[in-house]
Amino acid sequence: MSAGTDAKEGMRLVYHRFSPFHRFNHYLVMISFFGLVLTGLPLKFKTSYWSQVLMDAFGGVAAAGFAHRAFAVVNILYFILEGSYMAYFVLGRKGPIFSDDSIVPGLKDWQDMKGMFRWFFGKGPKPLLNRFTYWEKFDYWALFAGTVLIGGSGLMMWFPEATTRVLPGITLNLALVLHSNEAFLATGVIFIFVHFFSAHGRPESFPADEVIFSGYLPVEHYIHERPLEYENRLKAGTLDQVVRPAPSKAKRRMFGWVTGIVTVFAFLVASYTLLLIIWPLFF
Amino acid sequence: MGGDLNSARQLAKEFTCSKRAAAAAVLAIVLAIVLASAALAASTTTLLPATTNTTAPSGSDQAAGSEDLTTRCLTCHSQEYLGTVQDDKGTQNLYIDSAAYHDSAHGLLPCNACHTGFSHDPHKMVNNAEFFRQTANEACRNCHDDQFEMYKQSYHGTLSRGGTAAGEKAPICIDCHGTHAIQKVGTLEYKQSISDVCGKCHGGREATFLDTYHGKAITLGRESAATCVDCHGAHSILPVSNPQSTLSEANILPTCQKCHPDASKGFSTFLVHVKPTSTKAPLIVFAVAVFYLLMIIAVFAFGGIHTLLYIYRGLKDGMYFGKGGGH
Repeated sequence: MSAGTDAKEGMRLVYHRFSPFHRFNHYLVMISFFGLVLTGLPLKFKTSYWSQVLMDAFGGVAAAGFAHRAFAVVNILYFILEGSYMAYFVLGRKGPIFSDDSIVPGLKDWQDMKGMFRWFFGKGPKPLLNRFTYWEKFDYWALFAGTVLIGGSGLMMWFPEATTRVLPGITLNLALVLHSNEAFLATGVIFIFVHFFSAHGRPESFPADEVIFSGYLPVEHYIHERPLEYENRLKAGTLDQVVRPAPSKAKRRMFGWVTGIVTVFAFLVASYTLLLIIWPLFF
Repeated sequence: MGGDLNSARQLAKEFTCSKRAAAAAVLAIVLAIVLASAALAASTTTLLPATTNTTAPSGSDQAAGSEDLTTRCLTCHSQEYLGTVQDDKGTQNLYIDSAAYHDSAHGLLPCNACHTGFSHDPHKMVNNAEFFRQTANEACRNCHDDQFEMYKQSYHGTLSRGGTAAGEKAPICIDCHGTHAIQKVGTLEYKQSISDVCGKCHGGREATFLDTYHGKAITLGRESAATCVDCHGAHSILPVSNPQSTLSEANILPTCQKCHPDASKGFSTFLVHVKPTSTKAPLIVFAVAVFYLLMIIAVFAFGGIHTLLYIYRGLKDGMYFGKGGGH
């Protein structure tokens, strides 16, 4: 703890990883995801005692349903924003689409994954990771695909009369199966099996990674965590595009607080969700 | 310094005083509640005979001592040790939960409002459950004639009259409504119990219903959500194959439109009783359900293993605590 703080206090240079736009989008994802899970999952685990508690806390099923739709609107908003950014990036040729630097999965991700497993078992060095690791790409595209599937099926169930004027009634059966399963998959991936751990729980960033909230991380940390990107930028002479003087102490403290509060909140939501899901197995 | 101490003492004293006052107030409130509920209980008890007299069927000599009758019956039958007995006539539950009975929709009725035809030596008249089953519908009919007429025309009612094997299993009023703990219709608890009641005979159908939005919403307390009877009908229920059924080809859309005024023909083809992971489900629904089942297992397993190994390596290399960690 004290070592980390000292390092931060003495921080001179930072690596800018996320633009304000992407950080803003992540806040929207976070808010809508928490809201949607808390108002939606009780329906899936309807017999769980903790579902009833949560539903009552929201003011009943109808009120929770209204909140669910409100959070869905936030979801649609970030989807439009990110989609527009993607279109802008691709159509405006803002960068290479298939490169080591891009979010698009490639052969290196497969090799990195094999390398990580070798490292886990002590059979090799930790692979040199690039700007986006394979688990980050998985998170990104899983969320993207999930938003299309859950959002689409959700809209169908939001407007069932309009949907079935065009499509047969079985569409609603499909929509429910898809929505419910995909949502459960996403909840597990984000809260338990992948995202919370890979972003905050893994040894390099434990107990919390500030970068998605502040946008930057100390340069020493960056070199350690994304060695390949650093090397490439060093060779290409593009380091000065991403490395800047550290922000003021007050600003750093603020982001520390934001990260802390969000992490605690996220931990509580994830714990509650887990409790809600496993409760019916025992009671 | 001394002044500070004094004012502190003063504060402490005031605090103790206000604590005492608060305690007294709480005590007074508790006492008031106890007294009020005692008074209420007393007034309810005194009201009971009057109400009983007006609601009891045919103000005959039966009614005169009706509250006595209920009390007398319950003297023995509210004893839990009576329990359930098994004899050649089947299972007979002799125990009656007195509190549940008084809370029920019929809580103010005397026993012989339903157990008709006896007042003095009941055990000769009603000596087995089978006898009561045979007479139960008639007992209900005394007050609920309209519902009984509808029931008589329904599939359940037709079965009952048949005297066939199916008729043996056909439900009479009490099979759906219950007996001594009969519920007031329209309450949330009543609506939540409907799918269980239907499921007693139509096993599995209630589970698929409960997995639809309607089922989930009613389970979690949304009173307006549709249950079995909102689509299938209640007393006048008919098989879906019957053209008169609320769910027949011709009637299904208007039934949906009771709650969904904008529903179209396509809307009414939504399949309520489908278990997605059953091979009986439509192929596409089954395929999507199985795909997700496998996908969820695969992703959670892979993600879980990856995470655990990562933690293992991190701990082993001391990356979490101290040397070489993070920055």
